[in-house]
Amino acid sequence: MSTATLPNFKPRKSKNRDIVFPLVNGLILCILMFVTLFPVLNTVAISFNDGIDAVRGGIGIWPRVFSTEAYNALLSDKLTYNAFGISVARTVITTLLNLLLTSMLAFALSRKEYVFNKFITFIVVMTMYVNAGLIPNYLLISKTLKLTKTFWVYIIPTMFSCFNMIVIRTYILGLPEALAESARIDGANDLRIFWQIIFPLCTPVLATVALFVAVGSWNQWFDTQLYNGSKKNLYTLQYLLKMKLATSMQSANAANTSVDALANATKSTPVTVRCATTVISAVPILVVYPFLQRYFVTGMVLGGVKG
Amino acid sequence: MTTGAVNNIPLLPTRKKNIWKVLWDQKYLMLMSVPVLLYVLFFNYYPLWGWRYAFQNLNLNNIKKGADWIGMGNFEWLFNREDFINSIRNTLAMSTINLIVGTIASILLAILLNEVRNKGFKRTVQTVTYLPHFLSMVIVVGMAQNMFMSDGPINNLLMATKLVDKPVYWLGEGKYFWFLVAIINVWKEVGWNSIIYISTMTSIDPTLYEAASIDGAGRFRRILHVTLPGIKSTFMVLLIMNIGHLMEAGFEIQYLLGNDLTIDFSQTIDVFVMKYGISGGNYGRAIASGMFKSVVGIILLVGANFIAKKLDEDTLL
Amino acid sequence: MRKLVAMLLALMMVLSMASIAVAEEPIVVTVFRGDPGDQPADDNKIYKMIEEEFGIKFEFEFLAGDLDETLGTKLMNEDFPDLFDGGNSAEKLINGGALIDLLPYISEEKTPNLYNHIKDLLPQLVNDNGELFIIPNYGINYNGQIVNACNGPAFFVQKQVLAWDNYPQIKTLDQYFDLIERFLAANPTDENGAKYEGFAILCEDWRHFCLINPVQHLMGQPNEGEVFINRTPDENGVYAVETFIDKPYAKPYYKKLNEMYKKGLINPDTFVMTYDQYIAKLSSGTVLGMFDQTWDFGTATAALETAGMYKNTYVALPLVYDESYGFGTISEQYLNGGVPNKDRGFGISVSCEYPERMINLFENLLSDRWQTILQWGIEGEDYYVENGRLLMTPEQYSVRSDATWKIQNQALTIWESAPKKQGSMDDGNTWAPGDQPEILQLNMSDYDKEFLAAYGYGKWADFFNPPCELAPWGEAWQIDSAPIDDDNKDFLACQDQWLPKIIMSADDAEFDANWDAFVAEIAPFAQVKTEFMQEEVMKLVNK
Repeated sequence: MSTATLPNFKPRKSKNRDIVFPLVNGLILCILMFVTLFPVLNTVAISFNDGIDAVRGGIGIWPRVFSTEAYNALLSDKLTYNAFGISVARTVITTLLNLLLTSMLAFALSRKEYVFNKFITFIVVMTMYVNAGLIPNYLLISKTLKLTKTFWVYIIPTMFSCFNMIVIRTYILGLPEALAESARIDGANDLRIFWQIIFPLCTPVLATVALFVAVGSWNQWFDTQLYNGSKKNLYTLQYLLKMKLATSMQSANAANTSVDALANATKSTPVTVRCATTVISAVPILVVYPFLQRYFVTGMVLGGVKG
Repeated sequence: MTTGAVNNIPLLPTRKKNIWKVLWDQKYLMLMSVPVLLYVLFFNYYPLWGWRYAFQNLNLNNIKKGADWIGMGNFEWLFNREDFINSIRNTLAMSTINLIVGTIASILLAILLNEVRNKGFKRTVQTVTYLPHFLSMVIVVGMAQNMFMSDGPINNLLMATKLVDKPVYWLGEGKYFWFLVAIINVWKEVGWNSIIYISTMTSIDPTLYEAASIDGAGRFRRILHVTLPGIKSTFMVLLIMNIGHLMEAGFEIQYLLGNDLTIDFSQTIDVFVMKYGISGGNYGRAIASGMFKSVVGIILLVGANFIAKKLDEDTLL
Repeated sequence: MRKLVAMLLALMMVLSMASIAVAEEPIVVTVFRGDPGDQPADDNKIYKMIEEEFGIKFEFEFLAGDLDETLGTKLMNEDFPDLFDGGNSAEKLINGGALIDLLPYISEEKTPNLYNHIKDLLPQLVNDNGELFIIPNYGINYNGQIVNACNGPAFFVQKQVLAWDNYPQIKTLDQYFDLIERFLAANPTDENGAKYEGFAILCEDWRHFCLINPVQHLMGQPNEGEVFINRTPDENGVYAVETFIDKPYAKPYYKKLNEMYKKGLINPDTFVMTYDQYIAKLSSGTVLGMFDQTWDFGTATAALETAGMYKNTYVALPLVYDESYGFGTISEQYLNGGVPNKDRGFGISVSCEYPERMINLFENLLSDRWQTILQWGIEGEDYYVENGRLLMTPEQYSVRSDATWKIQNQALTIWESAPKKQGSMDDGNTWAPGDQPEILQLNMSDYDKEFLAAYGYGKWADFFNPPCELAPWGEAWQIDSAPIDDDNKDFLACQDQWLPKIIMSADDAEFDANWDAFVAEIAPFAQVKTEFMQEEVMKLVNK
């Protein structure tokens, strides 16, 4: 018995534990699943409920008065389909470009012998903490770059992410050094080592980062509001849904408006539409997720460089 | 000292002589990094010129004509307000609690999942727990609000089990607010945040577990001696990164869940700025407080990084 | 009469034909509206007519995020649409120099419709420099104001509560709470066993008017926002203005609420609930009463009516303090005369290349023919005419609340933000279909008809005194507090934080202590507010 290294070890209990632990563990995870699944199902249930009925609350995980009116309201608008296309386009293009740029830098910064390594790392990491604020950024995009009312405003400002760079760099650092070394002896330059050896090996981490970037890009609506609010053919799905959600704040001059004006002033979005919006915007991500999940079962490693 | 000097003697001249050669050798690394560097300088640093507005009385009325310089006026205004100081406290308190509770919860979930042998069950749990990440805060807070009402399910449960003798006023008393925010955040993000730890754990060399088992380690000891060390560097890097973000406690959740009764505990810097900066059109103030947040964030980050370095742990920079 | 209308219409047609003849090449006009909205369908029939007649095609942008933030970025970048409706922050557009002065374009000869529309109100509408940037989108009545119901602030009570007590006249605060208390004692739960709640107070964000506004009405004044204004001027012609929330006459109302809280009529959750929760509660029919404004809970009313729970819908009541409070005999004055919605609606931006065509458009849209099209629709499709009366079938009326129908068949954004006629047409029809008595009757449930009959009233407004004449300053809540923004916010925040605490005081001693602390804390802000409002009110009076 190797109790020398682990003095408190009691072998007899081990069998018992192997039955008890998985059971307890499974139970805890099941409770957790219930707790997290309930609100999700509740949201779906409300989205399929009659709007006026849902205002009264108290719906569980099954619609009380079934209706697809919320989806009809959201999907009957022709703009929705165009917006869906724009959303897909921006998500795909942003993800690809972001992966390329981010992994390129991650590769360069994974090379300890690189002379500008520390300098660039510092400059880039700081971007996670300094933020010029809404207005300076807006002026950069609209005045300096004149990107307003173009599709590229969705792509160009979001081509790089520092957090993801660190994730990828750490992964590359965890790869066996020998691979790159032997390629170098064979006369391959850094560009080829990156493109032909490192990049393909990074598939798991790239899948994870792709998920992060794609979710971020897909959920973005504020840039549409700021830069493309007057171009309805450039609306994204999230923006369109956000518009449907926005409750009217304008209290028409109440004392003397007619009932008709009143009806419009009080327009507020039924809770069902809000939930349907959530479902519609989450579904595409949920569909893509299992394909990506396969990859990060084999792992994403985030570790530091020894300073 | 002496050995170091001795070792350096042959190195120094070579380095100097070959600096251009080194740069030439690394031309492809530069090709891959300098464009991104320029991109970052342009998109992240160039707009910082806008921080000059922190020293102007920029607002909606003069935004077109141009604002006047007022020196430290915006900062003075902010720091002379008791509720701004209060909001700094709330921000730091909530982000610290969130960081601690959130990290522990996601590591715990990752460990529990890591111990599951059944692949299907594991995937299901993982998928289900990350789902709330996609719900909007409005919906999440709306549900929480219903749960924590005086006659809501939580109070009913507490009353039924005789844990309390009258309903707890969860939403109306400031002292519960930080706790509620932590619970809601954990619930919404625990699955999503554990993804990073789960994948780190899957990359731990399985032979380490076998070796530990052969050494007679039980499940608990294997977790303690193999799993936890395996995620240590991930944990450290995330910790340092998040310490730099302690000035960001969020906006939406406090804005939605807070009310006039709990405002002394719920108002974060971002909520304050929304109220007295952005929505009043006082952009000078908003930018001043953003600048303050960035500076504190960098100090915290560099400090955490420095301490980690002293402790010989993994660092970010 | 009908012939006359027809002739008039024909004349209008000819006139507008003439305007096409002069007309100009087709243009695209960009429009921003500082309020969320839906993009109209490409084949929207009204917009098509506008395009055909005026050669103007619109490109709309609606608000999705924060209004001030959006306006701020637009102002900073000088990125202006042609027609600019700044919503509730329109004064920021004016102060920021985004809009042009409209007065030079308006004259009796060139734009008679617009000229007649605003000529009586002009002194009130122009700013200190005599400029006019926005023509009000609401509140200008023709042939008198139509008041069918109280659309604004009032105390509300479920109809069943009044029916239960055999339709009593409830005029005072004490009668109101006494009735709710008695009803609650006799009926603690509804037929499904859900507990009734006596009185709800919505406090969320800008809707805090439910908490902080009632006192002025109890003292017999219409809605002036957060100040009390003496309607009889002193010897110097000064109308005295004061904040009311910190005055001795505010205390009894909150004392009453405190009593009701202690008696369990007010649920502590009322101070923490969101607007959604509030609407859900009202819609479930378990809230017996509240102070609010009719338009604020329209969703709940719709939900109750759809569920057939007419007895749980609300009646507006004009309550005042009775004599026992020592403020004399107060006569209620909830309804106010027609108030133009000052500085709300379309302005023309400085970057608009064709301001004259925009003015011309508004001028033409203000014609009787176009007003009928914008408000009623197309004859034969959206309404029909019988014996000179404009009427709608139940289907024609109910489809108007369908969102999909609206984006195809109404020029909603233009109708909402452009100057419009309210009140009645010269032939006695109302400009708004919903005001037409026949249509009102058509939409009223049998329960409501019986309810009104029990009181011997013909319409809901009969519970109220008729509207008073509009004061020379309009309604004081419209005065923009931006110059004292910080103090104003602190003034409101102080009320938001203290009043719930005051209402939830455990005993009289605590109540008095809380009240005194509140009055002391709010004093500096109240003073700034009072001085500012006094000055602004007198500026308006002296115009």
